[in-house]
Amino acid sequence: MSEKILVVDDEEGIRLLYKEELGDEGLDVHLAASGEEALAKLEKDRFDLIVLDIKMPGMDGIEVLRRIKERWKNLPVILSTAYHHYKQEFGTWASDAYVVKSSDLKELKTTIKDILNTGRK
Amino acid sequence: MGYNILSKIIEFTDSEEPLEKRLENVGALLLNFFAFDQCAVYLLDREERKLNLAVAIGNKLGCQQEYNKDEGLPGLAMKHGKPIFATHSQPNKELWRGVFDQGALGFATVICCPVKDDIFYGILYLKSREKKSISPKKKKLLDVIALQLSTAIKNYECIINLTHTNTKMKDMQARLIHAEKLLALGEMAATLTHEIRNPLMSIGGFAKRLHQQLNPDSSQFMYANRIIKGVERLEKLMDGIVHFSKKDGCEFSTEDINNIIEDAALFFEDDFKRHNITVVRDVALNLPKIEADRQQLRLVFNNLMANAIQAMANGGTLTIQTRHKDNWIVTEVCDTGGGIDPKIMGNIFNPFYTTKETGTGLGLAITHTIITNHKGIIEVNNKMGVGVTFVIKLPVATICEQLAVNSEQLKK
Repeated sequence: MSEKILVVDDEEGIRLLYKEELGDEGLDVHLAASGEEALAKLEKDRFDLIVLDIKMPGMDGIEVLRRIKERWKNLPVILSTAYHHYKQEFGTWASDAYVVKSSDLKELKTTIKDILNTGRK
Repeated sequence: MGYNILSKIIEFTDSEEPLEKRLENVGALLLNFFAFDQCAVYLLDREERKLNLAVAIGNKLGCQQEYNKDEGLPGLAMKHGKPIFATHSQPNKELWRGVFDQGALGFATVICCPVKDDIFYGILYLKSREKKSISPKKKKLLDVIALQLSTAIKNYECIINLTHTNTKMKDMQARLIHAEKLLALGEMAATLTHEIRNPLMSIGGFAKRLHQQLNPDSSQFMYANRIIKGVERLEKLMDGIVHFSKKDGCEFSTEDINNIIEDAALFFEDDFKRHNITVVRDVALNLPKIEADRQQLRLVFNNLMANAIQAMANGGTLTIQTRHKDNWIVTEVCDTGGGIDPKIMGNIFNPFYTTKETGTGLGLAITHTIITNHKGIIEVNNKMGVGVTFVIKLPVATICEQLAVNSEQLKK
C-alpha cells in the first residue's frame, strides 16, 4: 500500500503540481487549501507525512505545525516555503525538514523518501 | 624693534599658507633678527615619541632629522618645558647642560625653546657658530614668539582634524544611504519573492511535466525547455534577492579566511585554466581567525572571482593576497582585466546595476551587504586600462573567540 501524504498549500497551482508529481512517485497524495482544512482532515484520517506551506491566510504554517506536533507527536512534517529565513526561526525547529520552494521538486522528493524510509525502519 | 618683529611674525603665522611655509617664514625672520646661523623647528609626532624636523633654514650643518623625546637639547627642553640658552667658548665635543647633542657640534651658542601652551607641540632650535649673548628683552620676546607659533600649530591641527572628521562623516553618510537603499530593497524583496516564487513554481513545475511527456523532436518540447530555463533563471534571481532581506540571518563561526578563499579558488579551477588565467597566491600563514558566516563569505569570493574571470576572458593574472594589519584581516583580489569605466564606478555596488547581458546586477550589491553584515569594509582600487583590486577588511575575532577555538583544537 502506498504512503498517504497530505499537502497543505493555499495556491491551487502548487497543490495540483504536488499531486501530480508526488503521485508519479507512487504516493497517495491528499490536499488541503488551508491550515484549518488540514487539521480537520487529520482528525478524520491517518497520514504518513505532511508537506506544509508556512505563509497562508488564516492559520499560518507555524501554528499548524505546533498543533500537529501537540496531537500527533510522531507525524513527520516537511515545511515547504518561499522564504529561506524561516529556517532560523525557532518556531520551525519542530519540523522534520525544511525545503525552499522551487520548480525543481528533486529536493522535496528526496526529503520525503528519506523521512518515510527512516520511519519504516 | 620688538613690536615690529612681533607684528611680522603674527602676519606670517596667521597667513593662509601651509603650516610648513609659515614656519619657514618665521624661521627666516628669526635667523635674521638674532643673526644666528641655523633655525630649525621640530614637531612632536602623534605617538609622542619623537621630535621630527619640520623645517630648517640657514646653514644646515649637523641639523638632525629627528630626536627621541629624551635626546639632546631638544629632549631636555621638552622635559623641563623651559627654553635653554647656552654658550660655549670653544665649539667642541663638549656636553651642553650635561647632555650630549650631536646637532650642536660646531656651534658656540644655541637656543632651544619649547613651542607649547597647555600642550607641547615641538621645539624651536636656533644655533650660532659665534658666541652670542642674548638680552633678557630678547629672551622675553622669544617666549612670546614661541607661544604665537604654538597657536598657529594648534589651529592648523584643528583644521586638519576638522577636515578629517568632515570626510569621515561624508563617508558615513554615503554608507548610510547605501544601507538604507538595501534595507528598503530587502523588505520589498522579502514580500515580492513569496508572491513571485509561488506562481513561478507552478509555471516551471508544469513546464517540466510537459517537457517529460513531449516528443523530443517536437517544437513544443523546445518551447517547454525555454520556459524551464527562464524559470530557473528567475528562481536564481529570487535566491539572490533574499540575501537582502534583513530577516535572513547569518550563522557566524570562527573561520580562517585563507581556507574560505582556497575553497572558492578550487571551485573556479577549471575556469581559470580555460581562460588562461594565472592565479597568484600571496597569503599570510597563521592569520588570526575571523567571525564569519562561511557560506556568505564563500559567496563574496565566488562573486569576485566570477567577475575577475569575466573581465579576463582572454587571459590574465588573478592575485589573491591576505595579511594581518592592526585589528583587520585584509584580503586583496586583484585582476588584470582592464579596470572599470570610471563613469560607472559610483554604481557598481548598487543593486540591479549591470553592464553584462546575463548579469542580475546583484553580485557586487550582495558582496557589499555581506561584508557590511560582517562589520567589514570593501573598497575598490580601479586602474583604468590595467585592472581592478577589491580590498576587503574584516575584523579579527576577539581574544575570547580565538581562545575558544584554540581550546577546541587542544581537545582534539
